[in-house]
Amino acid sequence: MNDEAKSNCPANTGGEPVATNSPVPMAMVVLTLTLLFLGGVYFDHHSGWFNARVYTPYVSAEQLDLYQPKSGAAAAAAQGKKVYETVCGICHGNDGMGKPAMAPPLAGSEWVITAGFHRLAQIPLNGLNGNLQVEGKDWNLNMAPMGAALSDADLAAVLTYIRTSWGNKAGAVSADDVKTIRAAAAGHPAISAAQLNSIPE
Amino acid sequence: MSENEKSDNLGGASVLASRIDASCRVPLLALFGGAALWLVVGLAMSLVAIMTFHKPDMFADCPFLTYGRAQAAANDLLLYGFCIPAGLGVMLWIFARLSQAELCLPLASIAAANLWHLGVLVGTVAILIGDSTGYAWLEFPRGASVLLFAAFLLVAISAMATFGARKERELYPSHWFLLAALFWFPWIYSTANLFLIVHHPVRGVAQAAIDWWFSNNLVFVWLALVGIGTVFYFLPKLANRPLHSRFLALFAFWTLILFGTWCGIPQGAPVPAWMPSASAAAASLLIVPLIAIAVIACKTVCGSTVACKGGPMCHIKFGTTAFILSGLMLIAASCPQFSRVVEFTWFGPAQAQLQILGFFTIVMCGAIYELLPRVMNFELPFPKFVRLQHWLFMLGVVLWVGSLAVGGVEQGMKLQNPEAAFADSTNVALIFLRAGTTGLLLILLGSLLFAANIFAMTFKWKMSLLKTMITFIKSPLATEEVKS
Amino acid sequence: MKNGFSVFLASFLALSLSWCGFVLGPAKQLGTQKQAAVLNSSDVYPIQRSGAAALGLQVYRANGCAACHTEQVRQDGVACEVVLASAGKKPTAVSNLLSTLKLAGLTKEEADAASDKISGAGGTVETHVVPVGVEIPRWGLRQSVAADYLYDTPVQLGSLRAGPDLANVAARFPDLNWQLVHLYAPQAVVKNSAMPPFRFLFEVRNIKPADTPSPDALKFPQGFAPPAGSEVVPTTEAKELAAYLLSLKVDAPLYEAPFTPVMTKP
Repeated sequence: MNDEAKSNCPANTGGEPVATNSPVPMAMVVLTLTLLFLGGVYFDHHSGWFNARVYTPYVSAEQLDLYQPKSGAAAAAAQGKKVYETVCGICHGNDGMGKPAMAPPLAGSEWVITAGFHRLAQIPLNGLNGNLQVEGKDWNLNMAPMGAALSDADLAAVLTYIRTSWGNKAGAVSADDVKTIRAAAAGHPAISAAQLNSIPE
Repeated sequence: MSENEKSDNLGGASVLASRIDASCRVPLLALFGGAALWLVVGLAMSLVAIMTFHKPDMFADCPFLTYGRAQAAANDLLLYGFCIPAGLGVMLWIFARLSQAELCLPLASIAAANLWHLGVLVGTVAILIGDSTGYAWLEFPRGASVLLFAAFLLVAISAMATFGARKERELYPSHWFLLAALFWFPWIYSTANLFLIVHHPVRGVAQAAIDWWFSNNLVFVWLALVGIGTVFYFLPKLANRPLHSRFLALFAFWTLILFGTWCGIPQGAPVPAWMPSASAAAASLLIVPLIAIAVIACKTVCGSTVACKGGPMCHIKFGTTAFILSGLMLIAASCPQFSRVVEFTWFGPAQAQLQILGFFTIVMCGAIYELLPRVMNFELPFPKFVRLQHWLFMLGVVLWVGSLAVGGVEQGMKLQNPEAAFADSTNVALIFLRAGTTGLLLILLGSLLFAANIFAMTFKWKMSLLKTMITFIKSPLATEEVKS
Repeated sequence: MKNGFSVFLASFLALSLSWCGFVLGPAKQLGTQKQAAVLNSSDVYPIQRSGAAALGLQVYRANGCAACHTEQVRQDGVACEVVLASAGKKPTAVSNLLSTLKLAGLTKEEADAASDKISGAGGTVETHVVPVGVEIPRWGLRQSVAADYLYDTPVQLGSLRAGPDLANVAARFPDLNWQLVHLYAPQAVVKNSAMPPFRFLFEVRNIKPADTPSPDALKFPQGFAPPAGSEVVPTTEAKELAAYLLSLKVDAPLYEAPFTPVMTKP
């Protein structure tokens, strides 16, 4: 108190305010340190430790990795639909019904809904020509290897899409399967329709 | 000391004080005159903007007053037009008084004031014609920001020279806060402009992160530094008691600058999680400087025998309380659970308005009412306006900020219900917005009273200058008449 | 503190720390980002906006649309859903099992356990990743992340929802005429809208009965059409703004914001 009375003498400072010398309450220091600790704990639990890909509500890179959707039939079909409509639908029709003098239908086609997919996969990979019977009708056309330029994932997605759409009920095709088939069929010329039956399904 | 020596010292002190005040006259009038004008124009523009929620098609054919442009212009007018120049003017006077030396390089400050107000004018016109930068609190385009930056550097030179001229070498707590503010603004302003506006901006959402950093450091930290520096000077002076504890003030200063600068990234932001987490942790630590400042203010004022009677002391006490509340709102909005509800509602604007209008504007008005009569060497032309303005501002801020805050919470809670249509949330907020408009109107009236005092003082001073000139010109003629 | 220099040092320390954290950090981490790969696809995201849409972003900025609208979707959490792909050889056993299990709102561990059980019974399942939050059904399929704003200058995230969020508005309102009518007279297409009409972005022209109406003329709903003999035509700015709004979509699953797209029935 003596300190305060002395330091308030205006003559010393020309009427300007002065400050007392009371110490900082220990409680404030303890509070600051506690909050610093708790803040650090919060940061540790919620920040993903500066990882550029972890966004709230994910809290760590491990958790984010855990929740990545594996490419299942549904995910692939969405991509398959997109690729199909860009690449195949022009000739085969977005509804899979084919177009006369352009391409045979895929909906209900016995070549599409086979149990295996090895034969089917080679058609977009190598191309097809000659007279083919599809659903009781004859189709004598030329198909370029439209699938050769597609990635394994995309071609697998397209094949899965045509095998599961428009009432077709066949199994999915995975990117790994396409990779194996592509490697085995590399460099082969276009398949002729007559040979198609000799290729295993 | 004998009584004679003491009174001589006091007399000497008051002669020195009046010389110091006189040296500040022209720079402060230049800064405050423009600031008062921008305060009125900014509040009027806020009113124009809020009219959209009363009658949406009011400005449907007028592109200059459409809500997006008017609101941005209003925000910038209040912050850059009033807050910063008023703060700089008060800072110059406090530095001069604490240094017990006349203001150094006053021409730099006068030039700065003119450049600054020109910059604000150019920037505001640019926003209204559609040239805003698109960044919150940084809408002034390149040309205006260069003017503002140059003006600030000129004021800083004048302030630093005045600070350097001090005889008493020990620093007073206000020195720390105000010096830090002088350093803070050029760095944050140049960073924000260089990364976002001057050249091709940084890519993608990094722009938003830098804008948030800048906005928080300007609207919260810079205004806090200058405002609290001012409060720590005026509260002891007006209460006639010493400031409670320089050590607690130092503690408040360090914790404010260390932690306050990290708040600002919103919790749901589309940025990697470490940024909102760091902001949340920093916001929780912000409670420490708030408590420290509250303790200092209370212990300095409580027990004072000076009554405030609606005068500058009342302004400053209310402003300090508003600061504590605004800080608490900022902390609350950074809690992830609460942020989920109130982010993107009117709660955020409520906190900004409380900081700018409730805290800073009121503290500056109180400080200016206290110092301007000394600087001009005559009383306020309308002394009753001081108390009237205090009540208008107090009621206005409570209504305006309160309505926005409650409206925001209601809006947020409605949106948490997945069944509710979006229109429900806007409807419930509209009621509060309309109530809040009354508050804004009261604040505008109060600002008119403030501007009336400032302009009347300027006019009276210019008239007295004119009279002196006329008397001087006439006096040789008078001698002639006497002779003849 | 003793002198001005120590105050300067203190301020420098405090500000340089946060400058490194929130200016340098994002500039390095986010400012150098490139396009992201879309999950389970060969696409990249985002595709840069072209022509009119890019100019529309500038119209959006000039009129301060971000003052009322946000362009960011938030997510509160993530959950897994177990979906049956095929019932296999024992459909009744599988469906009995399904009725006893919880299939939605699961953590990854719970979902794996459930799918193991069903696979054991002979069925094939898929685990779908589903974002959780009140904003997901309302505003978008997933939360917004940095990749969504890669090419925006300036990024218009917004901070207030006086109007709805626009991150995915092109998916909710894909019709150009709707967007233009909404800009001209919001109350015509959204009841009790608080949005101000932006009539200054349009021209009202007189047309004589013999003239052909402009192909750009707005088609209004019943009761809001302009008086007979006049048509409302958008200016270039209105068209650019509408093109920008129609480019706003947030539907690609990314590594940072994964979700399983739900295929719509053909």
